Amino acid sequence: MRHLRHLLGASALLLTLTACDMTVTAGGSSPAASGDGTGTVPVAAYPERVYWGDTHLHTDNSIDAFGFGARLGPEDALRFARGEKVISSTGVPAQLERPLDFLVIADHSDGLGATRRLYDAPRMLIRDETLRKWHDMMHEGPQQSQRAVAELITAAANGTLPAALRDPANQAKATEEIWRRHLQTIDRFNEPGKFTALGGFEYTLMPDGNNLHRVVLFRDGSAKTSQVRPFPGLGGNVDELWDYMDAYEKKTGGHVLAIPHNGNVSNGLMWELTMPGGGPMTAEYARRRASHEPVVEATQIKGDSEAHKFLSPNDEFASFGVAGWELGNLPLTRRATPDMFGGNYVREALKRGLTIEARTGVNPYRFGMVGGTDSHTGLPTADENNFFGKHTGNEPSPKRVMSPQNLGTDQGRFGYHYLAGGYAGVWARANTRAEIFDALKRREVYATTGPRMTVRMFGGFDFSPQDFGGQGWVQAGYKRGVPMGGELADGGKAPVFMIEALKDPIGANLDRVQVIKGWVDAGGVSHEKVFDVVWSDAAKRPMSGGKVPAVGDTVDRAKASYTNTIGAKQLRALWRDPEYRAGQSAFYYVRVIEIPTPRWVLFDALRYHLTLSADAMKDAVAQERAYSSPIWLIPHKT
Amino acid sequence: MREPLVHFLVAGLAIFAVLSWRVQPDDPASRVIDLSREDQARLSVNFAEVMGRPPTQAELDALIQRWVREEVLYREALRLGLEEGDAVVRKRLAQKMDVIAASAADAEKPDNATLAKWLRDHPDRFAQDMQLTFDQLYFTSRGRAVVARTLLEGGADWTKVGDAISLPAHFDAASRKTVSDEMGPDFAAALEGLEPAKAWHGPIESALGWHLVRLTAKQPGVLPPLSAIRARVEDDWRAETGRARQDAAYRTLRASYTVRIAK
Repeated sequence: MRHLRHLLGASALLLTLTACDMTVTAGGSSPAASGDGTGTVPVAAYPERVYWGDTHLHTDNSIDAFGFGARLGPEDALRFARGEKVISSTGVPAQLERPLDFLVIADHSDGLGATRRLYDAPRMLIRDETLRKWHDMMHEGPQQSQRAVAELITAAANGTLPAALRDPANQAKATEEIWRRHLQTIDRFNEPGKFTALGGFEYTLMPDGNNLHRVVLFRDGSAKTSQVRPFPGLGGNVDELWDYMDAYEKKTGGHVLAIPHNGNVSNGLMWELTMPGGGPMTAEYARRRASHEPVVEATQIKGDSEAHKFLSPNDEFASFGVAGWELGNLPLTRRATPDMFGGNYVREALKRGLTIEARTGVNPYRFGMVGGTDSHTGLPTADENNFFGKHTGNEPSPKRVMSPQNLGTDQGRFGYHYLAGGYAGVWARANTRAEIFDALKRREVYATTGPRMTVRMFGGFDFSPQDFGGQGWVQAGYKRGVPMGGELADGGKAPVFMIEALKDPIGANLDRVQVIKGWVDAGGVSHEKVFDVVWSDAAKRPMSGGKVPAVGDTVDRAKASYTNTIGAKQLRALWRDPEYRAGQSAFYYVRVIEIPTPRWVLFDALRYHLTLSADAMKDAVAQERAYSSPIWLIPHKT
Repeated sequence: MREPLVHFLVAGLAIFAVLSWRVQPDDPASRVIDLSREDQARLSVNFAEVMGRPPTQAELDALIQRWVREEVLYREALRLGLEEGDAVVRKRLAQKMDVIAASAADAEKPDNATLAKWLRDHPDRFAQDMQLTFDQLYFTSRGRAVVARTLLEGGADWTKVGDAISLPAHFDAASRKTVSDEMGPDFAAALEGLEPAKAWHGPIESALGWHLVRLTAKQPGVLPPLSAIRARVEDDWRAETGRARQDAAYRTLRASYTVRIAK
């Protein structure tokens, strides 16, 4: 036995020292797969179909994900996204019912790979007391490891990370190797026409724990992206990120954009009326913001940021997925007060954009919407019956529904507050890096809270019922109008919208389709209104008091099931704004609401024979939804 | 009984010999500690990775002294058998065994014959999806579809019948996955069962309603030649071979154990 031990000790040491070099050589990629995909596959004349993906996935290269126990890397994540079965970090087989069409692995640029290095580092070399404590906690077991990461995130939020994790020179060197290898990996998995793997990272700006994170996403392959490194966010300001993006485009001739997320835990800072830090917003800042950030992530596992009842008291569907998250900033080190909500939610931001535009001539918040997961497990799951958790600490287990989940303090946020996550629907002409990126850039994209419903929207001025009722209505939409994300110049006529929603082919029926309009009046004050434009079972559900009655509820709580005996498969409307005022600046976006379905907590209750608390039960059924990117009606500048 | 274990150790030794640049490691049982120039360089590199700069001479000296101290205590701990019953040591060593088992697959360069066989043995992973070229007309009810089919058979212009929907009327070499993603798995299966013809089929029900379909071409999913997808096949081979070797190594070892779990 002693001999065995000696042999193991010695050979294992050597293996760990050499293992790094051995894995890099695996595989290779074709020139077609390593570029932006231009010219590799046929491109349709106009976007004929939606491509589904997640623009926001973390793997074990993320500082927090590894600490939470994730052991799946980019390669596992890509296999999983394209439909293969993988074994989760906790040993559970995982597979998507339907593969994704594209994926952006967006690991935190700050401390990229740092927890793994800390974990693997010889203890005696770690001189910083805090780092050594975290090292020990990570080795002690999953729970202590998760606590270590919670401390780490709080330290990042408070700006008290140990210098070894913050130092830019140190960081850059450590990051370079991971980035180079990551770019090789995604090139290997990128298959134009079939599956698109885009390069990206997460920029983790977080003053005082207020979440100002962005996913940064590249159009290009490794020939260009390898010329830069992921840009760190802690302790900086967003201007620096935009400088970095400009420098990338200038240096490489490539393209890059940023997608802000989780305004809901920004304590009012994500979509401010003022400059960051105060003072009136300048046209220059507004212009830079709009040009670098064409899309926001409106919904994800850590809550939904579309609308809050405090801001939208007449919207009975507002405050979806805000419970728990509305309490404060990301680590809940600072509580939120209602005056902060305006800067936290997308609809208000779109209105603020109009207000700022009225004053400065530039709309900083003319953005489209996508959904994402922000999963830290390497598994981009967004289906309620297949939810693998926010991080490895809450992968499927009997405890996760009721456990306190807000990182450090164990207050206010519980497992059941997590949503199962969203996806991005992208109207692209083909499935390549360039086509997916360009669709995001022109905002021809939409967010869903997980289900893959199809949402079409065209805005114009002369669409007729004949246009809308014929087979060529999509072509007419592109020819004589603009798709979602587009801009219409006010010509003195009310805008008309052709809207269609199709249910997820393997999902729930649709309850209703709404148009949400925001505008600024002559006095510079912003307003909003929700219009129910078409709904299922309309004969049995006449509008009363300006509202369509609730669709009903077929969910069997005990069995976590529902039936499509209510709702519609297809809902379409040709809708003309009945409250149009010439010269008024406005936006219109579509919200599609499904019939009620069980949330992941009910599936967990069924799977693990749990009795849910009253609070969790209240949150156990939801009407999932899609948010289109808006179409803006822009008055002539005088 | 011991034989499988011996085999595994021999395999481990072989890997060890190939990879080793320090042929004779220090024997933890010995009371002589040698620290070669290479070992010192490694300490220096480790330091640089954590701290972001190389150590000064004084720091390196301190590192060496600490390393020696740790080595002395490590050997004495082994003498006392302190590693036994330690959960971290246990887990770490188990992980290292897995790394040893999988590492050969990481380093290996599989030849074309190996990969060609891999491709043949797993056609489902590499075959292209079936491709379907068809026209489709959508109807919100079965009755409307039936009426339209009669009209079409009477010579009506197909572009003028059918209810509006956000689906293309023409699908050109669409993969089975695309059809399933857009209209549901049952519809894709129904289409797969049709033979190309000039006539309209249906009504066929989809997740969204009813359709008349004119299937003009159906291309079964072919297996591309190895040269076209070599990187992908190698990738798949490597990932699975690594896992399989871990499992095989474990099973070999496991076979020599008797496990008794008290009820």
